[in-house]
Amino acid sequence: MEENKEFKPQAVIEVIDNGPIKITGNFLLSDYKRDIMESPQEILLCRCGKSGNKPYCDDAHKK
Amino acid sequence: MENERIYRRGRKYTNGEITVFWKPDSCIHASHCYRELIDVFDPGKRPWVDMSGAGTDEIISTVNMCPTDALTWKWNDDEKNREVDPGQTNHVNFRRPELLLPGSETQVEPVSVKVMSDGPLVINGTFTVHYGNVKKNVSESILSLCRCGSSNHMPFCDGAHRKVGFDDN
Repeated sequence: MEENKEFKPQAVIEVIDNGPIKITGNFLLSDYKRDIMESPQEILLCRCGKSGNKPYCDDAHKK
Repeated sequence: MENERIYRRGRKYTNGEITVFWKPDSCIHASHCYRELIDVFDPGKRPWVDMSGAGTDEIISTVNMCPTDALTWKWNDDEKNREVDPGQTNHVNFRRPELLLPGSETQVEPVSVKVMSDGPLVINGTFTVHYGNVKKNVSESILSLCRCGSSNHMPFCDGAHRKVGFDDN
């Protein structure tokens, strides 16, 4: 994809191969089910469905 | 919703007379706000702040009880923000003076990352996404990423969570 000079991303979403989703930058994470509303600098979110600490990654994908 | 606009790393709410700012990172769950004024500050509701639930004076005195800068307030009439009694502990003058700087209202909104119950991760805003060898710029748009591990269109959601009965508890 072409770089657009006007494009100013607020956050970077990195889908790690066989791993979690890593998010960095200016973002607001919300999870109404668990009453989470936070904006950390960096976060790793589960995408294998097996984490025991959802929505976060707990390395369950490696097992 | 006009009443609940995302404001930097937080949100703001107004009743026309005052604006209440919420900064989630600073909350230490002292719980004064909802014990004192559940009609305005109800963590069980979305949005959790309802400015129509009480009068301005009551809202101000409750916000002043917050021990951090998680909740602060200011008058919408900027003239009234020039001289504020120090007893108004959580007025932005004393806790978050940066909010009164010119231009602070035009700050960019953070990217919204929503964890859908038993569903995908919904990302809304302006961001860059990397997957495999792909780097994609997303501008003011929405993306839905798989969280159940069963999508046939990885890393995106294809609705498979319903078929497999994904339960994210």
